[in-house]
Amino acid sequence: MDTSPNLARAQWMSLLAQSDPAELAAAMDGFAPPADLSWLRPAQTGLYMLRGRVGGSGQPFNFGEVTVTRCSVQADGQIGHAWVRGGNARHAELAALADAMLQDEQRHARIQLQVIEPLRRALERRRDEASRKAAASKVEFFTVVRGE
Amino acid sequence: MMLAAFAQPVFDSQRTFRELLQAMARPALPRTLPIVPPAPAPIAPAAMAILLTLCDSATSVWLQQPDEEAMRHLRFHAGVKLAQRPEEADFALISDPGSMPALDVFARGDLRYPERSASLIIQVAAIQSPAAGKGGSQFAGPGIRDTATLHVEGLHADFWPQRAALAEQLPLGIDLYFVAAQQLACLPRTTRRLEG
Repeated sequence: MDTSPNLARAQWMSLLAQSDPAELAAAMDGFAPPADLSWLRPAQTGLYMLRGRVGGSGQPFNFGEVTVTRCSVQADGQIGHAWVRGGNARHAELAALADAMLQDEQRHARIQLQVIEPLRRALERRRDEASRKAAASKVEFFTVVRGE
Repeated sequence: MMLAAFAQPVFDSQRTFRELLQAMARPALPRTLPIVPPAPAPIAPAAMAILLTLCDSATSVWLQQPDEEAMRHLRFHAGVKLAQRPEEADFALISDPGSMPALDVFARGDLRYPERSASLIIQVAAIQSPAAGKGGSQFAGPGIRDTATLHVEGLHADFWPQRAALAEQLPLGIDLYFVAAQQLACLPRTTRRLEG
């Protein structure tokens, strides 16, 4: 199990990247942008090659390309990064901004409460719905044994 | 704290690249870089523009005066590998030309691949193109009609003899970018300095 001190940050970065852009924007609306703000890397969209492997021991192969938008921002001395799937620049900017603000100890608790927790619940709800839908379409296969 | 780089990475580096091409094609002629991004000391903003334009994860950069913040800045914005020793570098940034290593330390390429040589970005005090008879060195070679006069301030006394010694090894050699403030002048390996 990963016990590195960056685990918490990795988890919130992952959550911000997977969140719904509209929900993230709504949650971030309540926070005034930091006074000292500089965009180190303005949002830019590009492609990443996804690699996959079959099973745990198969040879890695190029699975396909995915559109990714990345962004880095410095806010009040903290540097926030974001990589989000898709081409939504605003999503990447907000996620980077939230990452920077979460590293600020004075802001951390409020953002955790008002941004991260609602997004986590929304993500869990979406996952739950998807798995329910999938479960409803489950088909059981029985082998018909021919009688003697 | 970290500084930003080019505001518009694609367009700004394209404009800078065009200027670098022109400066290499017309050696010893000072030009003005169109955009200079912020840069942490000891990297000059003009040198930073060149590094951001020419370097990426496939090139290695050697800093004469390694500095933690400058290295972090370069790694983040250009994604470069930093070379530990000057002979491994594709690009070398000379921030204090008065105490720079000898020119023959740097990679000159080999006969099969002369392009596997180092390019030096040298931050000097001033670059001028003085009128004839007002000092400066005379240069000749491809891209120069007759001769060109260029004065580079801040080099140590051994610099030009060391460069002249490399000239015999053409097509091997190293290419030079001089920067001062927003000014740029290039001396590719084919440009000869005329004595006297």
